[in-house]
Amino acid sequence: MKFIIPRIALRNLSRQKKRSFLLGGAIAFGIMIVTLINGFAGAFIENVSENFSYLMAGHVFVQGAEKTASGKRLSVIRDDSIIFSALRDSGLDYEFATKTSEVSASLYFEGKTIRQTLTGLDLATNLFLRERVVLRQGSWDTIGPDSIILSEKIASRLNVLPGDRITASFQTITGQNNIADFTLAAISVDSSIIGSTMSYVDLAYINEAIGLKSGEYMALGFMLRDLKAAEPFAARLYTSMAGMGIHLFERSAGEEGTATTPFQAMMRAQRTEDWEGSRYSVYTIDDIVSQAKQIVVALDGASLVILLVLFAIVMIGINNTFRMVMYERIKEIGTMRALGVQRKEIKSLFLNEALFLAIGGAVSGIVLALIAMSLLSLIDFGMNTPAFMIMKNGHLSFFVPPLRAVFNVVIIAILTLLAAYFPAKAAAKMEPAVALRTAK
Amino acid sequence: MNTIDISRRRTPALAVAAVLILCLGMSLGAQGLSNQAAEKILEELDDLGNFPGKDYSALFTIVSEKPGEKQSVSQVRVFRRDSRKQFTILVMLPEVNKGQGYLREDDNVWFYDPTSRKFSHSSIKENLQNSEAKNADFTASSLKDDYGIQSIAEGKLGQYPVWILELKAKNNEVPYELLKLHIRKDRTMLLKEEAFSVNGRLMRTTLYPKYVSLENKLLPSQILIVDEINKGEKSQISMTEQNVEKLPDKVFTKAFLEQVNR
Repeated sequence: MKFIIPRIALRNLSRQKKRSFLLGGAIAFGIMIVTLINGFAGAFIENVSENFSYLMAGHVFVQGAEKTASGKRLSVIRDDSIIFSALRDSGLDYEFATKTSEVSASLYFEGKTIRQTLTGLDLATNLFLRERVVLRQGSWDTIGPDSIILSEKIASRLNVLPGDRITASFQTITGQNNIADFTLAAISVDSSIIGSTMSYVDLAYINEAIGLKSGEYMALGFMLRDLKAAEPFAARLYTSMAGMGIHLFERSAGEEGTATTPFQAMMRAQRTEDWEGSRYSVYTIDDIVSQAKQIVVALDGASLVILLVLFAIVMIGINNTFRMVMYERIKEIGTMRALGVQRKEIKSLFLNEALFLAIGGAVSGIVLALIAMSLLSLIDFGMNTPAFMIMKNGHLSFFVPPLRAVFNVVIIAILTLLAAYFPAKAAAKMEPAVALRTAK
Repeated sequence: MNTIDISRRRTPALAVAAVLILCLGMSLGAQGLSNQAAEKILEELDDLGNFPGKDYSALFTIVSEKPGEKQSVSQVRVFRRDSRKQFTILVMLPEVNKGQGYLREDDNVWFYDPTSRKFSHSSIKENLQNSEAKNADFTASSLKDDYGIQSIAEGKLGQYPVWILELKAKNNEVPYELLKLHIRKDRTMLLKEEAFSVNGRLMRTTLYPKYVSLENKLLPSQILIVDEINKGEKSQISMTEQNVEKLPDKVFTKAFLEQVNR
């Protein structure tokens, strides 16, 4: 008897192939949409972090801070030998290190002005940046000491073309006003909102302009072989540096319930904490782009809402169908009851049908979603697309967390069982004699 | 004849000598100024711009011009208490920014946005309301302490003979490394200030065409700030309702900025 009910339930489903196919199809469609959204959200943060780390030239960063006698806070690494020594001691491995300085500047060209952050790095030797930053106009071959690379958006707002001279005004690390002239060497493709704000200049040139000496800079970025290694790398580097007696700002996990990223929380600590001399911060790319996690949470939340709305509609369909099924099989139910089948077994029969329908539909939906993901990820959008930041090498990429898929299937199963419960209960309550004499 | 000849020969020689002596005298006079009088002038300029033991309030109307943009008018009410390195700036115009404010206490400057009702960190080096004026322009003057005199020259600005003082920053706490001041000779009045970048490029010219007298002090009532990097960008500031009466302490608090917006 234990397996008879499920077998009858399966047989009943196959008896009404068209109806089962439509109901299961509706469930599969809903699950497919939700799985696609989950898959997109699953890969989103990794893609953003990875792409952003390429633009920032690092997965893990060390930033130097110094307080002057007058209490002014400077961002500077005067001597990096101690950082590299800590790296050697901890046996950490990385692909390459990039030294950068950043300054917020006003760019001027023929009456037009725009505020922009200039990132200084060694443009002549940073081959990795050359691979990642796609140039729309200009060439890497024309890079000189006073070169600047602007994104399309910024170049268009300033109305500049490669070869134009741009004046920049900014403050030195100690806050004094200074001016420097740059030659626009190239215009890069806008890669998302973040990419379109990046402007690159030569490290030595900008360092001199902001008052840093030769060999000094603001931050050191480490590019690792794998983004997933960033957190353990940062943790070990932090421990190693702390072990060498280097003063460090505590790594932060962000602020609960706020949009503040761990990086922002760390910067706030630098402003508010009482400290003196030199100190270092160690942080990962995830600490900077952790706000992207909120987008993932929003996408997951949206997918759950879609799931519930879709299934509210499907539930009504299932509920009506099972009510119809109950009336269609009223004599069958009467016969079964007359032959000794118990009320709970009748209810179980209906619920088993609903459960098989839900699982069949959900599994089909996941399979369909996986097929759709495979097909979508084959499309090459190229590196020039504005959506480059959320893609993996110009392709859409997906990752469905297994637990999330299981959660969706469980939700569908519960909702379907709930939809079928009342018709099942009504069928179970039916008196055999009444059922047998009821004319369809 | 010889005498005449001699005298004829002596006359140009004497004239040259006289001119040389005069030039030397003027030069020495200017050099002498650089050591003592010039510093005294800087001290006087600082005194004119500061109100020790008193507070200062005024209504500033700022007319800004930028290339390719419409002229914009802002109005801010400025409250200063130099003895405690405090200021409060309350934006009155444009209507869209009304209620915004800046509060300085010591070296901290906060910006208040009435829409979000939040304070955020700002700096005295930030520009005020998209104009060429910086928050630092509303702080007490400390030329004598912050700058050393590099050179002194004489010149004329319009109809006024002026001392031209070139100043170099003594520390890196000031926004401009080099300043060139044009100060009226007959009475200590700053007429023009040129501010240079660290690498010696002219960034900003400030003209002081009008002054008013307040409690025996000459205060500028109009300032013209010209951006020398972005040609065509300038701001004219007119100061009215200038007052040095004591202000209530609450004016220099965050609560004041919040309260005026209720």
